[in-house]
Amino acid sequence: MRHEWLIPAAATLLAPVCDVTYAAVYFTTEAAQRAAFPDATAFEEVLIAPEVKSAISRDAGRFTVEPRIWRVRAGDSSIGWFMLDEVIGKVELITYGLALDTNGAVKSLEVLAYRESHGDAIRLPAWRAQFVGKRPDDPVRLDADIRNISGATLSCRHVTEGVHRLLLIYAKVLAHG
Amino acid sequence: MAESERPLRRSVLLLGTLVEIAAEGPSRSILEDAFVAACAELARIHRRLSGHDRASELSRVNALAASEPQPISDDLRRVLSCALDIAERSRGAFDPTVGAQVAALGFLPLQAAAPGRASWRDVELTGQTVRYAKPLVLDFGGIAKGYAVDCAIEALRANGASAGRVNAGGDLRVFGARSEPVHIRTGGPQGAVFPLVHLAEGAVATSAYGGQRRRRDRRWASPLVDPRLRLPVLSTRTASVIAPTCMVADALTKVVALLGRGARGVLRAYGADAVVLSPARGWWRCTRLDGTMVAAA
Repeated sequence: MRHEWLIPAAATLLAPVCDVTYAAVYFTTEAAQRAAFPDATAFEEVLIAPEVKSAISRDAGRFTVEPRIWRVRAGDSSIGWFMLDEVIGKVELITYGLALDTNGAVKSLEVLAYRESHGDAIRLPAWRAQFVGKRPDDPVRLDADIRNISGATLSCRHVTEGVHRLLLIYAKVLAHG
Repeated sequence: MAESERPLRRSVLLLGTLVEIAAEGPSRSILEDAFVAACAELARIHRRLSGHDRASELSRVNALAASEPQPISDDLRRVLSCALDIAERSRGAFDPTVGAQVAALGFLPLQAAAPGRASWRDVELTGQTVRYAKPLVLDFGGIAKGYAVDCAIEALRANGASAGRVNAGGDLRVFGARSEPVHIRTGGPQGAVFPLVHLAEGAVATSAYGGQRRRRDRRWASPLVDPRLRLPVLSTRTASVIAPTCMVADALTKVVALLGRGARGVLRAYGADAVVLSPARGWWRCTRLDGTMVAAA
């Protein structure tokens, strides 16, 4: 164990640190698609009728954003589906990609990015300021600035609900052609 | 920086939380393999030790160990023997049988009817089997998550990563030459964040209380249950522990949250260190419990 405390040894009073937010970008959409389907030759975007989405929203909760869906091809054959969606948790926004095989089984789920904010509009500029001069598609540049936070348990409940909605899209539409 | 030296950094949903895995190493393909191996470790431990999954080994043991001794895997044996060891050293301030009470208060899914007065002393671990002397429900909670982090770190190392970090929703462990700054978030609706430690080798876990209390049957409840009284403790303390392994760090946060300075002996036994933060009129009172004096290398 090698460490160096940043907190003094004796009992001390500390002022709270305000405006702490963090964000991480792991993948661009294209990189996530390639990671999920290394053999793919094409990703064809598929549009879903608004009626289908509103029907799913009634049963399984509203979509935060319009989910994007691609049919994945290797040569002439279809090898699966890639879906991109975003959910809002209590304090975080999570962009995730879901890869399905041709039978609709989940092949992988990866988080492309998450941004934490306390949902407080006043703090948003402080959060955005983290990105000034940085390229959001370059995870290395961001990495040095991201804090490791102990105690920040992120809820995955909203992602689970999001995956449920995406699987309903598969069941209602994609499974039939 | 050359493409091949880029660190790999991914986040996946495993263990019921967002797990971030970061690794550095000689080539991208080595890191990709190390990442896959680390994820496989996390998934394997979740399958064995999750109390929420009815098909897990732990659920099977919970269902049957009161009637006859159950054979157990190495993973379950390691986590259980660590849990029982910490229970003994902390004189029951940590107790892996307290899960049923936490579930009864609505903070965990209920697996089985809350049994009567059983404690860690009723768990008989012998070699490769376990038996419960009374009906009880073992729930490792965060310490299984800590163990999964430890196994994922070993997988990164064994597969050629030269440095790495695994952070499972705040239970984190790092290895490598460079030290990483780690912050701590306190409990409460608007958790304050403080710089905590520069960590090069070791694990940090935090138990933050204060934000999760709720009314239940006209009484306040919190997920911190004192195993000795089997009653919830309305603590506003946030306890962070640094230890050589994430499994030990996570278990000791409960001991520190309940015993405060009284936890120093237990911390020393595991070569661990802790910080307690408690709110004081808009400020935070910070107490470091130096169990050991390990100088930064």
